[in-house]
Formats: sequence, C-alpha cells, structure tokens
Amino acid sequence: MFNKILIANRGEIALRILRACRTLGVEAVVAYSEADRDSLAAQLADEAICIGPADARRSYLSAPAVISAAVVTGCDAIHPGYGFLSEDESFAEVVRAHDLTFIGPSPEVLDRFASKEGTRRLLGAHGLATIPGSPMIRDEQHALDEAERIGYPILIKPSAGGGGKGMRMVRTPRELQSALRVARSEAAAAFGDDSLYLELWLEENRHVEVQVAVDKFGAGIHLGERDCSVQRRHQKILEEAPTPALSPAARLDLAERAVKAVVEAGYENVGTLEFLVDAAGNSYFIEINCRIQVEHPVTEMLTGIDLVATQIRIAAGEHLGIRQSDVVINGHAIEFRINAEDPEHDFRPAAGLIESYQAPGGPGIRMDSHLYPGYEVPPFYDSLLGKLIAWGPDRATAIARGKAALDELDITGVTTNVEIHKALLENEVFLEGRMTTSLLDRVGSAAFLAAAARSA
Amino acid sequence: MPEAKRDGREPQGRKPNGGGADRRLEDHAEIGRLSDALLPALIAKLATTRLGELEVREGDWRVRLRRPAAPDLNFGRRATDKPSRAQPGHEGHGHARGAPESAAARTTRLTGVGPGDPATAATVTNGTGAVRAALAAARLAEQDRNVAYSPAVGVFHPGSRAAAGTRVRSGDALGSVDVLGVPQDVLAPADGIVATTLVEGGTAVEYGQELVRLELTAPAERR
Repeated sequence: MFNKILIANRGEIALRILRACRTLGVEAVVAYSEADRDSLAAQLADEAICIGPADARRSYLSAPAVISAAVVTGCDAIHPGYGFLSEDESFAEVVRAHDLTFIGPSPEVLDRFASKEGTRRLLGAHGLATIPGSPMIRDEQHALDEAERIGYPILIKPSAGGGGKGMRMVRTPRELQSALRVARSEAAAAFGDDSLYLELWLEENRHVEVQVAVDKFGAGIHLGERDCSVQRRHQKILEEAPTPALSPAARLDLAERAVKAVVEAGYENVGTLEFLVDAAGNSYFIEINCRIQVEHPVTEMLTGIDLVATQIRIAAGEHLGIRQSDVVINGHAIEFRINAEDPEHDFRPAAGLIESYQAPGGPGIRMDSHLYPGYEVPPFYDSLLGKLIAWGPDRATAIARGKAALDELDITGVTTNVEIHKALLENEVFLEGRMTTSLLDRVGSAAFLAAAARSA
Repeated sequence: MPEAKRDGREPQGRKPNGGGADRRLEDHAEIGRLSDALLPALIAKLATTRLGELEVREGDWRVRLRRPAAPDLNFGRRATDKPSRAQPGHEGHGHARGAPESAAARTTRLTGVGPGDPATAATVTNGTGAVRAALAAARLAEQDRNVAYSPAVGVFHPGSRAAAGTRVRSGDALGSVDVLGVPQDVLAPADGIVATTLVEGGTAVEYGQELVRLELTAPAERR
C-alpha cells in the first residue's frame, strides 16, 4: 500500500478520496488552486499544498504543478479523481517517470483504451455489440459516405473527451456538412484533438453503464449496472440502479458480458462501460470510462463495496480479494446531482457564498458534498455542489426517501437545481421508469417544473 | 476597474433598515471592509487569471473587477486560448481537459494597482466610499508589491540578488523555484532593497508563497 497520496482534484471528489485514504490508513495531501484555499478538502487534509492559480490549466490541469507538488510533499501516488488529468495517458506516463503511481489503469492500459473508436473495435472483437459507426473522419466526403452507409440521423462525436461536449446530432447530409466544421473546432478547443467519428443516433434510448473492477492479476468482477438516462443536454443529472429498463436476467447478462470483454481485452482497475439500450432492449457498447465516476456512490449503496478504496488498492498492486459471488446487489439507489444552476434560467451556473447548508439524514440517505455554511463557491469550475443518494429496499422506498431528503436539504446563498429533482420525482414517466436520454430536453425542463407545480 | 454596487433587492433574512444615518454608517463600514479585504484579493485573483472580468457577490454588495484592454499586460495569451471558465458540466468533463502545460510554464507577475498606474485604476461607484476605497486598494497593493511570491510549487533556490541589502529593480530575478528540474524565476515585484529572505534555500514552497521581502525604494530615489 502507498504511504502518502496526493489528491489532485477539488470539490466533493477530493473529499471522497480523502475519506477513502483515511479508511485505508494512508496519509493524504490535497493539492488545491488559489481559488480553493478555503475548500473543505484542503481544510480537512493532513496536509494541503497550493499548486497554482484559479485557472485550471495552470493548476489542476498542469502536469508539472501536480507532479512537483507530489514530489516535494513526499507522496508516492497521485489520485486524479474525475475530469482534469484523470484519463490523460501522457500524464499517467509522466507520473510514472517520476517514480510515482497514477491511481487508475497503467499508462499502457489507458493508452489502449484512449481512443473511443479504437475501444469500440477492441471490445467489439471481444463480444460486445457496438453501435453502427464510422472510423475516424478524414474529410467531408468521407463523412458523407460513412453517414450514407450508417443511415441518418447521425451523431457526430469527438474522439477525445466526453460529457456531451462537441457532440452534434444531424438529420440530413446538408446538416452534417455544416455541423462538421463546428464540431471539429469545438473538439479542438475543448480537448486539443479535433478527431471526429460518426455514430448512428438512436432516437429513444437509455443510458445504462456497467461498473467493473479488475486487478493487475486479471481477476475481474462486475458490480452491476447504473441507469443514467435522466440527462439534460447529454449531462447526467440523476442516476439510479438497478435500471428499470431491463429484466434481472438481461441485466445480469449485460454485466457478465461486459466484465468478460474487458478482462480479455486487458483492462485494469475500476472502470465503467457505457451502453445505449434501445426500446427493444438491445444494448450497444459506446465507451469506457477509465476512472472513478461521479455516480459511483449508487453502486456503493447497492453493494457495500468502497469503489475508491478498491481503486487505490488495485493501483497499489493488491489482489481484488473478492469474487463475483461475493458481490450482492441489494435494493435500489438513486443519486441526485445537486448543482449550482438556475433551472428557471436555462440552468445558468451560479457562484457565490453559501449562507446556510444542512444535509439531510435518515435511513438510506447519503450526502457527498464539500459545502459548509460560509463556503464561497468559486466561479471557475464545474457547478457540482454535491450528491444526494437515497437507498431503499425497493425503488418505491428509494423514491420516497429521496423526496423526503430533497425537502430536508437546505442550501441557501446560491441557486440550485433541487427543484428539477423534486419535479422528476413527481413525473409519471420517471415514476414508471421510462425515462430516455432525450426526454428532458424534448419536454423541456420548464414544462417539468410547471407540471410538478400543478400537481403539488 | 472595480466597482461595488449594492443590489437593488434586499436579501432574505436581513432586518429592514429604515435608512438614514445608520444605513450610511453601515455602508461606510461595509465599503471599508470590502476595499480592505476583498478588493486586493480580487485584484490579485484577476491578475493571475486570464479572465477579463470578475464579479463577486457578498451579502447585498456586488464587486466587479474588469481588466482594462491594456496591450502591455504580459499574460502570454494565445489566439486559441479560451476563457478559463469551465462549462457547467459534470462527469468531471466540466473540468475542461487540455494538454498538460510544459514544465517551463509562463510566469505571471501580479500587477500592482496604485495611483499613477495607468494600467488599472480603482473606483468604487458608491459616492462617499470612493476615495477611501481607492486609497485602501492602493495602500494594500503597495504592501503586496514589496513581496516576491513563488511562481510555482517546487523547491526554492535564492539567487545572489536575494542577499539582504541588495538593491534590485522591478523584474530582477531574486532566485528560482525548481519545478521538476526546470527553474522558474522569482521576480522582484518593484524597485527596492532586499530586506529579508523568508524561506531558506532548498525548502519546498507552494504556489503564491511569500519568498523575499523588499524595502521599496522611495519614489524620489527612483531613476
């Protein structure tokens, strides 16, 4: 096991990693930017070190700053959290060149799974159905030919990055031509890589992902799936497990095929395989996330397995220590992402002083948040304030507990998206477990809020 | 250009105030506090980012700082640079992913704000407090200008010009911070005489740490 870990992230995930380090008995140093000097993680850490200014490119995204901080504080490993440098294979390589361990897959494994298009081919060869798509697009004519072969509507996707950035859906060749240029420059700006590929757009689909954990000795388990179909502009806002979209037998089949494929393809550490599930229940592999995910607590609530601690143990070269038969999926869990966004004004991000903060409690309730009264939400980073997770022995109980907890949650000072979650829990389509990824955008968040207000 | 404004609407929970003398006193105290505590922090923050504008809301006051379009501010801005404001994303993708910066990162100097500095000027757009706030900002900026800060996280090595009593000019290298073998200069923020070196050579330092304190040369002595 490591002696000391540098946490190269911020917000709730920095705190989450710090807690995992505590339970493992490993010292932790929190690396923070000038804008996060007063963050809860920096305050609670055994040690904290300022690595740069608020601008993430010179702090959380700066490999030299992060690695230098690890070296001068005597750390032997770096936990990158999610976002920032977490899936950057060149960063992982530089970390190793400085005799430090990157907590995540090894650089070779990250490299193997770096290209989404290459990963689809690799895992497709190991038995996962993939969505009809193109190779990397060379030029406009190539794109038009490929689109013709796949059939419209088509989704244009950047090879690097994710989270919906740079993705565009087009219905005609004409739209494709104009969207291609925009998507290319967006991808170049956001990820420093303008490679694009095309994918068939499934009109009504669900986003289901399988959580896996594989140690360095090739022993792998799955921890079931999560349903992340409640999205707004390709951003997840609520996740739950098990998915209401599939039967228990279909869920098990999907998870077993997923873990078999990644073990055969040589994956290592915790990871998530994302699938699109169509109305007929067919699942298509779309991408793998080689890191801890925002919504990992959903799975932790169902299995009782600490995924961050597992991730650290695997990176340290330990055996997984549990078999598939030890993983028991119990009950139902829902995670609500609490964001500093104003649902009434097109989810405009908010920043400012947290005047009051009171986390909810009770059976099955977990709140992962870095807020405290008097904390100032800096305007430089993403708007996630925390995650409220509600567990129950069944979906109805999880929903009822979620409702009560959302009512109990008190955050004043910044506008949050809590109302949209309350509205979702009143929504018939959600209650029946029929949410699809495009539904919230098609109906419009305003209509959701209005409908909930009427029924209240 | 900073400006402080009282928001039109009253925040919840604030007891109604009839206005008049009490309110004015309260305003004075608040402006004083904002200009002493918040303004210098904001100026420093703006100077270290590439943001054009920064607005902070505190209680029922808003303070906005705008960078003047001065061509001489050396921020190494490239045409391809995007504003550093991350998209309100999740999944961590909101944290924009970019190529790791080279070890020989640009050093950014904090630009002091003071009277007579044509690059920036402080005003508080609220009648009575304006002059006081400007003076307070200037005074604090003057204080900041006598300290050389660490440009990065690494190991500090004082140079020959860091010896006490050395006369230095603004921009002189007082030493360096070693970032993974690549030295980054610690620069004198103003003309002056080295008073003390606050950190011993070979010590690990963090970004923004105070390293060398200067005795500023009086304006009359400046060439």
